[in-house]
Amino acid sequence: MRGCAVKLIKVENLTKQFGAFTAVNNVSFEVEKGEIFGLLGENGAGKTTTLRMLATMLKPTSGTALMAGFDVISQPEKVRAKIGILIGGETGLYDRLTCEENIAYFGLLNDMTRDKINDRIKTMARAFGMEEYIKRRAGKLSKGMKQKVAFARAIIHDPDIMLFDEPTSGLDVSAIKDVHEFIKICKEEGKTIVFSSHTMSEVEKLCDRIAIINKGELIEKGKVEELKNKYNCESLEDVFIQLVGGKNEF
Amino acid sequence: MNFRHIWIVFSKEAKDIVRDKKTIITSIIVPMVIIPLLSILAGGSVRNMQKDIEQNVTIALTRESNTTEIRELITRDIIAAFPNINLIDVEDPIEAINNSEVRIVLDVEKDYKEKLEQGKPFVIEIIYDKSQTKSVGSVSIISKAINEFNKRIAAERLEKMGIDDKILKPVKIEETNVANDEKTGLSMLMMILPVLLVILISAGGIAPATDLVAGEKERNTFEPLLTTKAERSSILIGKYLTVTLFSFVSVIASILGMVLGYFIDPKSMTLGTGAQFSGFSISGTALLMILIISILMGMTFAGIQIALSTYAKSFREAQTYLSFLIVITMIPSYATIFMQPNEIPLYMYVVPVLNTISAFKTVLGVNINYTYLAIALTSSSIYVIISLKIAISLFNREKVLFRS
Repeated sequence: MRGCAVKLIKVENLTKQFGAFTAVNNVSFEVEKGEIFGLLGENGAGKTTTLRMLATMLKPTSGTALMAGFDVISQPEKVRAKIGILIGGETGLYDRLTCEENIAYFGLLNDMTRDKINDRIKTMARAFGMEEYIKRRAGKLSKGMKQKVAFARAIIHDPDIMLFDEPTSGLDVSAIKDVHEFIKICKEEGKTIVFSSHTMSEVEKLCDRIAIINKGELIEKGKVEELKNKYNCESLEDVFIQLVGGKNEF
Repeated sequence: MNFRHIWIVFSKEAKDIVRDKKTIITSIIVPMVIIPLLSILAGGSVRNMQKDIEQNVTIALTRESNTTEIRELITRDIIAAFPNINLIDVEDPIEAINNSEVRIVLDVEKDYKEKLEQGKPFVIEIIYDKSQTKSVGSVSIISKAINEFNKRIAAERLEKMGIDDKILKPVKIEETNVANDEKTGLSMLMMILPVLLVILISAGGIAPATDLVAGEKERNTFEPLLTTKAERSSILIGKYLTVTLFSFVSVIASILGMVLGYFIDPKSMTLGTGAQFSGFSISGTALLMILIISILMGMTFAGIQIALSTYAKSFREAQTYLSFLIVITMIPSYATIFMQPNEIPLYMYVVPVLNTISAFKTVLGVNINYTYLAIALTSSSIYVIISLKIAISLFNREKVLFRS
């Protein structure tokens, strides 16, 4: 178990096929506790499918992954108790519920007690500056306010692992800044983070290590600086073009 | 499956729907207001039309027949005893029928007088417009007046000949209706109520079912929900129970609407055509069985609705699929509308939708066959299980859930 505590995510030969199409092919990587791991790839490269398998939404065709020591195939419920997820730029809240009710619903479904949920909501409302509108219906809030509620909802059960699937896509500059701040907060709290994006700058800025995915295959992984040196490139973008562009030509 | 998770999903969804003004208005308020209003208006208009047909029969004569003699024949000898029939003067009689100015035009043979005196039959042609309900309805009234005239003349002729007019009636017909007013009212109710309730049950869950799965997918709340500790089957059943509850709230609202309509105008429940049926009684067991059968049908439809909403890629696609479901219910409902309880074949108690209609008809049909009701109840229970299994299986299928 000590090994699992260090390597909080272990992905082993993860493969997902949809009929004849292979969306993710034999992907393996490990993420250490407290690390931000970036999945970099173009649209349709297989990032979302990988994250959906890690979140137990999709069953792998072959291979598996251990999330906080639990297997995504045989222990999906235990895996879900350990993860939080933030998907896309759209916040996705229940407009007719108050912010508090939105957050509490996910707490209850993660088997938290009412008291614990209330305490946690209070703490998060203070931390994210939501105290003023926490009792208001989500549908009446601004996009920025909604986003903070979505952050709180994702970590209400204090998960060990956070999965971010293109969390800044379609957002404006200040909203992107808020997401980046939230990711930093998660890291400070010691959470292990897998972050998918196709924006080089944010991956470079936020991630400790990255993996480049192309056409479902993991083609390179390592620290950003290591990769730059290895491929003799000045920016991550150049590394990416060299790897993906080169691969796409064949 | 975890009952706590089911309850959490159910109570959240119920709260969410109660706060949705659109769903509350369409599923609860509209049926409570529209149903009594429609039945009162429809019943009122049927009755007004019947009253109008009976009381204001306007007739005219063709140009050829419009002589003083013939006018006298009509007014003095034929319609004198019928104050509801009025002979009026019009310029163009056929045009007058087309314009609904008169309902009937009579053409009387010119030499009618001679023929009448000679004891020969003469012709009165009744000209009417079959496309006009009031014109058609007036034919029997004017025919009755002419027949009365016929009888009177025949009686006078026989009397002159010293023969009793009873000779013309070797058989006297007597009718006895074994059904009392209550039963007559019930037979109308038996036709209308099952169709109405079955359609209401099938339609009641549409709004919540669309919102709870297809709507959730569209709002991007679905994926975070799937990553909570709750199993998919618990989430599905929580949603399923919400749809079932709201389809019944909607049916109850509609029934309350009908009861309200009944109190305002008792004949409204049978669209003004049936007798009043105050004081009829249905046994407690039959009532309980029909209630359970209705709930089971609601549950079956909730399962199908959730399954279709799961399959749909978008809110709009779900609405389209679900509205087809009402059409599918309407076909067997209208096809069997005139079927009487004693004519219902056994297989109908086994076929979905038809089993609920048959059970309703049986319960309203006075002589209740409990074996048939039990068959309907058993088949309904089986359909609940099948529809729920389909919904759970679709909800667990990645290809369907993440269809885009």
